[in-house]
Amino acid sequence: MRLLAILVAAVLLQLALPSVRVWAPLAACRPLLLVTVAAARTLSPVGTAWVGLGVGLLIDLLTDRPIGLGGIGGALAGAVVSLTARRFELTGPLFWIVGSVLAVAATEATSALVLLSLGGVSDHGWRGSVAMLATTGALALLVAAGERAWLAWQSPTRKRRRMLKRL
Amino acid sequence: MLRLHLRADFSLLLACLALYVASAAQVRSAQGSALTTALFALWSPVPRLAASLGDLWDNWVVGRADLEATLDEHAALRREVARLRETNQALAADLLALRQGSALLAGLPQLAARATLARVITRDVLVSHTMRLDRGRLDGVRVDAPVLGEHGVLGRVDQLADRSCRVQLLSHPSAAAAARLVDLAGEGLLMGGDRPTLTGLPPYLEVPGGTLVVTTGSEGIYPPGLLLGETGDARTEGLFTIVPVRLAARPADAAVVLVLEPESAGSR
Repeated sequence: MRLLAILVAAVLLQLALPSVRVWAPLAACRPLLLVTVAAARTLSPVGTAWVGLGVGLLIDLLTDRPIGLGGIGGALAGAVVSLTARRFELTGPLFWIVGSVLAVAATEATSALVLLSLGGVSDHGWRGSVAMLATTGALALLVAAGERAWLAWQSPTRKRRRMLKRL
Repeated sequence: MLRLHLRADFSLLLACLALYVASAAQVRSAQGSALTTALFALWSPVPRLAASLGDLWDNWVVGRADLEATLDEHAALRREVARLRETNQALAADLLALRQGSALLAGLPQLAARATLARVITRDVLVSHTMRLDRGRLDGVRVDAPVLGEHGVLGRVDQLADRSCRVQLLSHPSAAAAARLVDLAGEGLLMGGDRPTLTGLPPYLEVPGGTLVVTTGSEGIYPPGLLLGETGDARTEGLFTIVPVRLAARPADAAVVLVLEPESAGSR
């Protein structure tokens, strides 16, 4: 349920970022990839890969790309992020930053390889990939900061402190 | 009845294989597969809806500010003021668009008769190198129609819906335009990408930096004489001169653009 809410928020953000009212470089951001990163926390590597596949297909739909490229990349990204997070026991901001960077790198590399094997041309060059990496990483940092603030707000220590103040 | 039990990881591999085949069908078909055409037709209302939601959000924010400013006024007067402000905002936006449009038309009077003004709804200038306009098939826009910005050629229309269209920018890796250098002989091909270059020029041609690059119209899409950009430092590869080009049009700043009739339609 929580993952679904994150997915809906990410879809809305993905639709809003290319808007003419938003600063142009932010259109390169892929908030939907953070859904895959979020899924890596609770699901198994194969489960995360399935989530990545679905998210990748959604990205293909939202960005007018051939349907399927993002799906394959998303599946690989899900597996890579999940396995890396488990192997190195990543938590907190490091989990989000490394996860988002790995997810973008895996999807971009896979898309490039698939297109290369099919003789197709990518719709962007290395600058687009770097912009995607930077903006998605920045968004992941923002999410990590928000999560930390939320956990601090909800912490039992803070609640006890407030209760003691009232006494 | 035969029942197939697949492990999750094998199923995932099969799904990826199916997606690979689907991607191959789409990548290798020049006009797009039936799947992409159907998905585009189904999906095109969604960006329009998103743009409408953006407008709605803007109106809501502005309306709230107006409400706070007029809380102390009489109710009837307050309603009237809110209505007038909303109208004023819409008119101001229209006026701004018209001013930009007028500037575009004034700069290109010879093309004004067969041009349509369009507003930019969304644009992605770094990754997909496309922008979406609020004019489509029902407004007379056609595939391959050249799109001009205030400073020069932006690109061409590559996908059409009834009330919107997608523009492939000149910075797209697949974009190309026949071009020549002002005051220099010969014709070349401007290739898009992160670093657009002019290739196919006559051997040993010396190109000074800052030379203007304009369209020739040979490719049958862009009318001749439109500004594409200016040259950087040229280099020689074998017999040929490769000239990097700084594109004149800035898609990130474009709010209103001019969509021309495709050259093929104009010549008919």
